[in-house]
Amino acid sequence: MKSFFRKLTWLARRPIKEADLQEELQFHLEEEAESQIALGRSAADARLAARRDLGNLTRVQEETRAAWGWTLLEHLLQDIRYALRTMAANKAFSALAVLSLALGIGANTAIFSFMDAILLRSLPVAHPERLVTLSWRTNENESHGLNRHDDSFLEPKEGFGGSVFSYPAMEMFASNDAIFSSVFGYQSAGELHLRVGNQAQIASTEYVTGNYFQGLGIPPAAGRLITADDDRAGAASVAVIGFALSQRRFGSPAGAVHQSILIDGLPFTVIGVAPPEFFGADPGAHPDIYIPAHAFLLLHSDGSHTAGVWFTNPDIEWVIGLARLRPGVDIAQAQAALSPQFSEWMRTVNRARNRADLPRLVVRDGSGGLSGVRLRYSKPLMILLTLVALILALACANIANLQLARATARRREIAVRLSIGAGRARVIRQLLTESVMLASIGGLLGIAFAVWGIRFLTLLLSAGSENFTLRAEVNWHVLAVVAALSMVTGILFGLSPALESTRVDPMPALKGSRTAATRSHGARRLTLSRALMVAQIAISLVILVAAGLFVRTLASLESIDLGFNRESVLTFKLNARRAGHSDPEIGTFYRNLQARFASIPGVRSASFSDLALVGGRMMTGVSVNGATLKTALMVSVGSGFFTTMETPILVGREIEPRHLASSHLVAVVNRVFAQKNLGDRNPLGRILTAPDDCATCAFEIVGVSGNALVGRDVREKPGPTVFVPYTANLWGPMQAMIYELRTAGNPLGYVRTVRELIHEADPRLPVSEIQTQSALIDATINREVVFARLSTGFALLALAIACVGLYGAMSYHVARRTGEIGIRMALGAPRSRVVWMVLREVLLLAAAGLVIGIPAALFAAKLLKSFLYEAQPNDPISLTVAAVSLVVAATLAGYLPARKASRIDPTVALRCE
Amino acid sequence: MPGRPSRPELLQGTLDLLILRTLLPGRNHGHAIARHIRRTSEDLLQVESGSLYPALHRLEAKGWIDASWDLSEMGKRARYYRLTPAGRKHLAAERSKWEALARAIGLVLNPAEQEGQ
Repeated sequence: MKSFFRKLTWLARRPIKEADLQEELQFHLEEEAESQIALGRSAADARLAARRDLGNLTRVQEETRAAWGWTLLEHLLQDIRYALRTMAANKAFSALAVLSLALGIGANTAIFSFMDAILLRSLPVAHPERLVTLSWRTNENESHGLNRHDDSFLEPKEGFGGSVFSYPAMEMFASNDAIFSSVFGYQSAGELHLRVGNQAQIASTEYVTGNYFQGLGIPPAAGRLITADDDRAGAASVAVIGFALSQRRFGSPAGAVHQSILIDGLPFTVIGVAPPEFFGADPGAHPDIYIPAHAFLLLHSDGSHTAGVWFTNPDIEWVIGLARLRPGVDIAQAQAALSPQFSEWMRTVNRARNRADLPRLVVRDGSGGLSGVRLRYSKPLMILLTLVALILALACANIANLQLARATARRREIAVRLSIGAGRARVIRQLLTESVMLASIGGLLGIAFAVWGIRFLTLLLSAGSENFTLRAEVNWHVLAVVAALSMVTGILFGLSPALESTRVDPMPALKGSRTAATRSHGARRLTLSRALMVAQIAISLVILVAAGLFVRTLASLESIDLGFNRESVLTFKLNARRAGHSDPEIGTFYRNLQARFASIPGVRSASFSDLALVGGRMMTGVSVNGATLKTALMVSVGSGFFTTMETPILVGREIEPRHLASSHLVAVVNRVFAQKNLGDRNPLGRILTAPDDCATCAFEIVGVSGNALVGRDVREKPGPTVFVPYTANLWGPMQAMIYELRTAGNPLGYVRTVRELIHEADPRLPVSEIQTQSALIDATINREVVFARLSTGFALLALAIACVGLYGAMSYHVARRTGEIGIRMALGAPRSRVVWMVLREVLLLAAAGLVIGIPAALFAAKLLKSFLYEAQPNDPISLTVAAVSLVVAATLAGYLPARKASRIDPTVALRCE
Repeated sequence: MPGRPSRPELLQGTLDLLILRTLLPGRNHGHAIARHIRRTSEDLLQVESGSLYPALHRLEAKGWIDASWDLSEMGKRARYYRLTPAGRKHLAAERSKWEALARAIGLVLNPAEQEGQ
């Protein structure tokens, strides 16, 4: 170790050391000469003898320097200098190589940083390995209650899943203190209005149970965190705020403690600040404020429905369950102990769910937080990562092939170096340094591409939700991956060309003979080059087929019949209650606004509903004429809703203005509902009761509509649905409404007028989520949109890289065969025959690539099955399109070298020999 | 080297030992070290000056000797080498190793003496 530091200091004093050595050797020569003179020689003789004695001065110096111990480093610097010179001398090659690597590494880095953010990062809590998530599975898609967090994950193998439980269910779990040291939960309260002093903002707020922070085991950044005492009815209104919010609004975490804030107009006291690295238990969300679950009672205190049932009714599911295992208990034990208990409990207390399909409990590892987000993004990211890894492999094969071609050109140079005494290992090291340098520059540029790619991906992925807070970043994990990728790719594409090109017999190579030296090695090199081309075609095919399948899936999704006309509709959300309107005036306010919108020139009709079509759903038990409860979706709508959405009324009439004022409540049911509940009987005039906890809510069916899709995803089949007038106040006091405006021409052209009208009606009322109906629907198939776009981009990139590779390699093959082609032409082969000869080689390689690629693509497509919609993994169209475009691309890439070959002048070619 | 009488080749690694031993009484410069080894071995060991300097610098890198500039007896600037404590320890260890080796080889080469005892 000491000697290492000594060497380091020597390195710094290198010029002095060099001068010292000179002087030392000079002194030696003089001393030696003196002693020779003492022996009686002449001065000139003595000097010569001294020189003879010391031997080759340069060699002595060289060997002494070697003793200083930085030969390796010096060689490396030398290699790097040399590599830079070589790269500068071959600008086109270097630029091409660096660019394709940068794209490959950049794409890999960007995707990896998302994986890092979602899959690899653990929650910043104590002992994350002991955290488990609680969730359930059913066979049929059925949910009750509310979940604002993203858990819309469907696992085809496990049926339908959800992660929310009723409050009593959470208490039941908490009673298992042999298994869990704590059970806790949370649910988003949504985007609430926050006032600090005179500043107002929207803040994403999270309800947390009293032991949430203790359960997670995180310390406060300031003050204290919410405890069990804060989470009960009648406790003081307290809130914990996020670190970023504390800095933004109070300057520092300490400054926020004991301050008063208003949440939706209600006073809360800030008791503490969460630590900076804590982003809530859901990696996809980033709450600004945490309030006790029982604050729900305060925020919903003006209801006609008592909010208290949310804490007592086992049918209302709304708490996302997490638990901490006791030391020594593993997940399987927890699952085994709790699963039968939960099933038994559900059988006893639950009244709302289908008895034959009660939820089954699933206990999962919770160290990364909510499993929904992981499940939702992990497989797509794996697929994207595979695609970009393939592209990187393609780029590597490409550069390896180009290096091989260049090795021919460098044959002389390498022969010279070998013949003047460079060891083969030394030359290989030099060539590898060049490759790793190329890769490192590619990697550096790749980081820039990655930063840009992360931004682009965030944009693409977040298209679905406004509060997308998944934070992917280039951190040290990611940088380490980049560095590793650069090294590995550099060695990967550099090693075999380096090994190949140093297999040179210097003599013939120096003599400049084209044939003699390369015949035996050349054959091997050609085989390697051909194998690389075949691999490139096979890999490209896999990427192209995947892209084809994703594009077909998107096309099928976009052409689904939703039961309404999605074109030319503008939608936006208004919440008049938050702006200060109250019952009963708020109902009139919404209706008057509707009339104003309808009178805008160009707006054909306007209506509103409490749910956007495709974007949300509320389910409840409904009984018809007192028959047993069946689950149905319920939507509250304004008048003219079906006209506006262009959903046909099959029987009876739609909800009209006269139905709104009347105390006699009416309903329109969709066809599925009528068929499922009434069969062939006439639905008109029948009475249905809903929701299940409201005995007096009776509606007369006045019409049957077509099956307009209400739900969260266009892939869902329309379920039994009941549409009722919004004035029925189905879920308590009316809150936000989604307006729908059927327009002539581009809906976005009306945004300004709409904003002006709203401002005129009430300047306090903000508009949110203003977008077209089709954009809203696209948001639900966001993943498919992302896949289709990205994979198309990847496919084009792959095709371009493969073309460049084929072109480069074929040019090299043609250059090698110049002599042979010259002879053929001298013997009378026509040009077309020469063109065909080269093209045939390309096509044969393409065919070989397809033979390998098609089974590989079919296998890969099978893995993608769960991501496809109405496109079979062995979709013949995708396969054909991919294969044909590859053959066309290969032909194009081969044609240029082929044409060049056909223009070879036999006399010139033969003279070269 | 043509014309010179044949001398025994230095064994691998023994040059280091010789240098360290030469420096045991006190500091000295390269040329004097070479001359000293030649003389004390009665001209049997010819230290190649070409391998002397790499060896000196290697020993310095290992920390067994130190170097500093000073004036020689002739009044010229010369690079003087001196044993460090670490070098002294190393020399002692190497020396006993070498003596053991030499004895062992001697025993093998002259078994008669052994029988005579």
